[in-house]
Formats: sequence, structure tokens, C-alpha cells
Amino acid sequence: MKAPRISWLTFLRVYLRSFLLQASWNFENLQNLGFFYLVLPGLRSIYGDELSRDVQRRQVTYFNTHPYFAPLIAGTILRMEERLHAGEDVAVDPDAYKKMVMAPFAAMGDALFWGGVRPLAALIGLLLASQGSLWAPVVFLVLFNLPHLFFRGAGLILGYVQELRAIETIQKCRLPDLAIRLKESTTILIGVLCAYLSFKGCEHQDISGAWGFVLLPIVLLFAWLSHKGVTSLFLVLLTTSSLLLLALLF
Amino acid sequence: MVIADYLLAGLVAMLTGLDRVALVQVMISRPLVAAPLTGLVLGNPLLGLEVGMLLELLWLGRLPVGAAIPPDDTQVAVGATVLAFSMGQMLDLVGMPMVILAVLVAIPLGKFGQIFDRLARNVNDRLAVAGLKALSDGNTNGLERRHLMGLISFAVSSLATACVIVLIGSVVLFYTAPQLIGAVRDTGLSLQYSLIIVGAASLLGTINVNRSISLFCAAFSGTLLVLWMR
Repeated sequence: MKAPRISWLTFLRVYLRSFLLQASWNFENLQNLGFFYLVLPGLRSIYGDELSRDVQRRQVTYFNTHPYFAPLIAGTILRMEERLHAGEDVAVDPDAYKKMVMAPFAAMGDALFWGGVRPLAALIGLLLASQGSLWAPVVFLVLFNLPHLFFRGAGLILGYVQELRAIETIQKCRLPDLAIRLKESTTILIGVLCAYLSFKGCEHQDISGAWGFVLLPIVLLFAWLSHKGVTSLFLVLLTTSSLLLLALLF
Repeated sequence: MVIADYLLAGLVAMLTGLDRVALVQVMISRPLVAAPLTGLVLGNPLLGLEVGMLLELLWLGRLPVGAAIPPDDTQVAVGATVLAFSMGQMLDLVGMPMVILAVLVAIPLGKFGQIFDRLARNVNDRLAVAGLKALSDGNTNGLERRHLMGLISFAVSSLATACVIVLIGSVVLFYTAPQLIGAVRDTGLSLQYSLIIVGAASLLGTINVNRSISLFCAAFSGTLLVLWMR
């Protein structure tokens, strides 16, 4: 195997460019320009400034994945391009590889980061905010971004070093299971938050905390309505108008 | 509130708006961060924290997946903070009731964010075509430039949303706040907490976990019992 041509500085540039993946997000090809922009410093290291039509064609096709998984795919693609440039065989064409992994990685990233890490970090931040602490936004940002930034960087290196075996490594990490655990923790924190607010409401009204249990079926009803597709906006309008009407009447 | 405050708030609207999709995505676009940040530049971060708390959970379950565009809770948070601050000063109405009114007025206006976001992405369609044309001419720098120009579409879309929320919201609050503030005050904590609880319920309804209801009920009952018995 030939020595890698891509320097650490180039990797850093690819890593930083991953933060701009979706700058030109469009309905036609979603992240296609973004992915080309992401891998361009690496492609220039391999091929120089003149990129062949084949290389261009491979890297500007339709592309859409979770933005935090894009560096992982970029790492593998750059290693494949290095091999192709060195005249070595690659098991899968880079474009075919992108098409093969982008949807599963998108689903994994959505479940893990949007559905798991983000709500959990937000609820921890919200519990702090309910105490009036201005540290709440800081704690939220730190809790969310530690795994986020690590995942982007580690993904890029993993993709480059392990190539196709990176898929196996990701499978071994059992990220969907981790997402479910995070969602379960989020559910518990929703319960804690609702109970705390309910108790504070009872305290404010100077009534027994046991009345707080009245809120339980209401939250469950709203959750069911939300599950059935009723929008948050409708629920807000319903609740607000009911409470304001009661306040105006009595 | 002076012009410089509006300009600073506009800058926050653009920065946090870019974070939603186009740039970095470190979640400064979440209401829990965007609202206190707006409050900070206006000189009242606690006001922003109150706004952020009320809004954070409302649309958290709506995932920005593929071509789906959720309501713009970032600009609702920024706009509501500006409204609570500016209209509170103008009408001499301060405190949580004014924050609640500002949030209630801003929430439906978040729909404009979806419209402007869609427009920005349509503009980017044309940029993408121009970028591919530049590439086919062998001009990779031209493609890079077109790609980065997409940031302008998203920034303008965010700023436009925030402006619409603040402009329409100011007019609505000017006429309705003096009449409604008493009723909002009479609801005590109910209205304030109901917004957070609606958000929590919406999130609970969108979490796809088998045992979500039993986990929620156990956590709710356990916490309430502990607090009650204390």
C-alpha cells in the first residue's frame, strides 16, 4: 500500500468544511454541492487542481445524509479516491458507496442526534432554566456538542482508516440501541419536569401537592393528540384560549 | 430600545438562523440558547431565558429530516424576546405576563419562517445549477463560491422571518396587550407552565419508544410523591 497523500492539515480543512455541508441545501440534489465542497481539499491533494470529469461526476451526484455522518463518508471516499489514483482496485465505486450508505446513516443520525441527544440535553437544560439559572444554555450546548464534535472528527478518521470496514465498526457501536436508551432517559426527564411544574403550581395556589396528579391524564391526552398528528400550535391555542377564558369569566 | 439594539438582534437572528441548517449546527438555534443570546445583546438575558424556556419543547420533536421544514422556532424565540423587551418598555408592561403575551403572539407567526425557508431553498436550486455549470467549465472555485452564496439565502430568510414577527407582533401587542395583560396575570403560573407542558406532551407524543408511557407515568408519579412527602 502506498503512503497516504492527504496531510493532517488537509484533514483539518475537510473537518472544518463539514460545518458548511448544507450551506447550499437545495430541493433538487439536497447536499450535492456541499459534499463536493467538503471533499474538495482532499481531492486537490490527490489529483492536483485539475480534476478529471470522472472524479467530478462521482462527487457531485445527489447526496443526502445526516450532516454529522458526512465526514465519515467523506473519509472513506477520500481513501477510495487515493486508491483509484494509485491504480489500485476498489471493492465499490465511490459513487455507489455514497448511494449505499447515505440513507442508513441519515436514519441513524436522525434517531441518535435529533431524536436522542438533542431532546435529552434540552430537557437537562430546561430543568436548570426552571431554576432561573443562566447556565442552562451553556450546559445544553456542552452536553450536545461534546458527542457531536467528537463524532464528526472521529468519523472522518475512522472512514479514512477503515474504509468499508467503517460500516462494520458503526454497526458494532449499536447506535440505534443507544438512541433508544437516550429516548427512554428523555421520557423519564419529561416526567420529572412535568411533576416538578405541577408541584410548583400547587404550591403557588396553596393547595396540596396531591392535586398535581390531575396533570398526569392531561399530559397523556395531549401526548396522544400529538401522536395522532394534532399540531403543537393547535394545542397551545386550545390551552391558552381555555385558560384566558376562565380568567376573564371568573 | 434604540436602532443599535434592533441591529444587534438582527445579527443574532441571522447567526442563529444559519445554525438551523446551513452553518455549523451546534444548536445555538435552539430557543433555549437563541432567546437568552438575544436577551444578552439587549441587556436582559433572563428575559430571553424565560422566552426560551416556554418555547424549547414545542417543536423539538419535529425533526429537520430531508426536505421537511419544521416551524422556525429559532426566529419565534428571537422575535418574542425582542417583542417582550421593546413592547414591554413602550407599554410599560414588564414581567412574565408580558413575556407570555409576546410568546403567544410570536408562535403562530413562526409559519412565515417555513415560507421564507422554502424560498431560500428555491434560490439555492438556482445556485446549485450555476455551481454545476461552473464545475463543468472546469472552474471548481466558481462552484465553491456558489455553494457559500447559499448562506446568504438562509441568512436573509432568517432575518426576514424575525422582521415579520417583530413588525406584526408589535402591532398586535400594541392593541391587545393592555387589554389582555390583566387576564394573563390572573392565570398565575397556569398559562406559563401550560406552554412548557404542551411542549413536553408534544415531545412525549413523538418519541417512538415502546415503554414511553409507563416510563413517563413512573417518573411523574415518583417525582411528585417525593416532592409532596418532603
